Amino acid sequence: MQKWWVILLFVMAFPLIYLCMNRIFHATIMCITMNAAIMLIFIYAPTEKMQGIVQKIFYFHVSSAITMFVAFFVVCVASIMYLWKNSDWWDAIALSAAEIGVVFCTLVLITGPLWARPIWGTWWSWDPTLTLTLVLWLIYVAYLMLRIETYDTRRARFAAILGIIGFIDVPLIRWSVEKWRTLHPKPVLIQEGGTTGLTSAMLLTFLVCLVAFLLLFFYLLRERVSVAQSRHTLEVLRHEIDEICVG
Amino acid sequence: MYKNSNSFIALMSGSKIFLQQVLALLAKDLKTEWRTREIFTSMFVFAVLVVVVFNFAIGADTELIRQVASGVIWIALSFASVLGLQRTGQMESEEDSLQGVLLALHDRSALFIAKMLAQMLYLLVLVIGILPLCGIWFRIDFIAHIGEICVAFMLGILGLSIVGTLFGMIALHTRACEVMLPMLFLPVSIPLTIAAVQATAQLIDGKSLRDIADYLVLIGIFDVVFFVLVLMVFDYIVEE
Repeated sequence: MQKWWVILLFVMAFPLIYLCMNRIFHATIMCITMNAAIMLIFIYAPTEKMQGIVQKIFYFHVSSAITMFVAFFVVCVASIMYLWKNSDWWDAIALSAAEIGVVFCTLVLITGPLWARPIWGTWWSWDPTLTLTLVLWLIYVAYLMLRIETYDTRRARFAAILGIIGFIDVPLIRWSVEKWRTLHPKPVLIQEGGTTGLTSAMLLTFLVCLVAFLLLFFYLLRERVSVAQSRHTLEVLRHEIDEICVG
Repeated sequence: MYKNSNSFIALMSGSKIFLQQVLALLAKDLKTEWRTREIFTSMFVFAVLVVVVFNFAIGADTELIRQVASGVIWIALSFASVLGLQRTGQMESEEDSLQGVLLALHDRSALFIAKMLAQMLYLLVLVIGILPLCGIWFRIDFIAHIGEICVAFMLGILGLSIVGTLFGMIALHTRACEVMLPMLFLPVSIPLTIAAVQATAQLIDGKSLRDIADYLVLIGIFDVVFFVLVLMVFDYIVEE
C-alpha cells in the first residue's frame, strides 16, 4: 500500500505548484515533462508481451482518469469554499476545473474504447468503471449546462450545490454499478500486498506521464481562471460605463 | 453556516413551530391538489403510458417481460416524478406564490420537507395505482411478497422525492426548466435507480429481504446522505 500513499501525497503537492510557481515557469516545466513523457512512452518503456503496442494507451488513459478525478475533487472543494466564503475567485476555480474535468473525462471515454476494441473485442461494456465515468460525464455536462441556463444572481450558488452533490454521488454510483456488474481489469498499478503489475520502467513512464497530465491540468486551470476573472472585470467596467452614460 | 445549524437543531428537537409549518404547507399543497387534481392525474397517465409503450418495446416474451418489469416500473416512476415536479414548479411560480410562502416561513427547510412529503405521497399513490396494472399486464404476482415490495418502494420513493424536490427547486429558476430538471435529476439518481430496480427484480423472483439487504442499505445510505446534504444547502437555493 505504500506506493499508493506516495502517489496520493504526490497529487496533493500539485495545488502548491499552482499557488507558488510563476506562470511561465509552470508552462516550461509542463512542456519539458510532457515531451519527456512522450519519449518515455514510445522509446523507453518496454512493449507489453500480451497486449502489444495497444497497451501504450494505458499511460494516457489512466493519467487522464486520475486527472479527471483531481479536477472533480477541485470542483467539490471550490464549491464548498464558495458557499462558505462567497468569493468569486472560488467560483471561477470551480467553473474552470469543471470545464477541464469534462475535457479529461471525454478523453478517458475516447481512449478507453480504443483500447477495449482489440483487447476485449468490443468498443463498450457496461462495467462499473466505464459506467461510473459515463455517469460522471453526464453529471458534469449538466453542471456546465446549469451554469448557462441559470439567471445571473443564482448561477454560482446552484452550480456550487451541484458541484458538491456530484462528487458525493461518486462513491454511491461506484458502489451501485459494482454490485450491478464487473469486467474492467483490476488496477494494475496497485495490487494485493502493495505489489504492482507494472515493470519498474513502465511505472516510471506512467508516473512521468501522470505528472505531465497534472501539470497540464493545473496550467489550464490557471489560464482558465484568469480568463474568468478578466471577463468578470470586463463586466464590472461595462456596467460602470453604462451607468456613466445613463447618468 | 449558522442558518443551517439552526434548521438542523429545529428538526432534531422536533420544534413545534417547525412541525406546524411543515404540516400547514403540506396541507396547503394537498388541498390544492385535491381540488385541481392536476399534478397527480398527469403523473399517473404518463406513468401508465410509459409502461404500455415499454411493453411494445419488449415484445410478447413472457419470461423477458418478467425480468424487465421492475426496471419498467422504476423508469415510469422517475419519469413521472420529473413531470410532477415540473407541474409543481409551474404552480409555485404563478403569481410569485413561492415568494409569499418563503416570507411567511420561520425556517425555510420546512418548505423542503413539506414539498418532499407531498412528492412522496403522489409517488406512493402512483405506485398503489400502477402495481396492480403491471401485475395484470406483465402477469406478476405482487401480492405474494407485498410486504417486502412495500419496504423497497418506500425507501426508493423517499430517495426519488428528496433528490427530485432539490432539483425541482433549482430548475424553477433556470431558463429551460423542462430540459434542466431531467438533466440534473436522472444522472444523480442513477445509484438509487440501479439499487431499486435490482431489489425489486429479486423480490419478484421470490427472494427474501435478507437476500437484498445490500441494495436496501445502499438505498438507505443514499436517502440519508442526500437528506442531510439538501437540508444543509437548501437555504442557498431559496435565498434571493
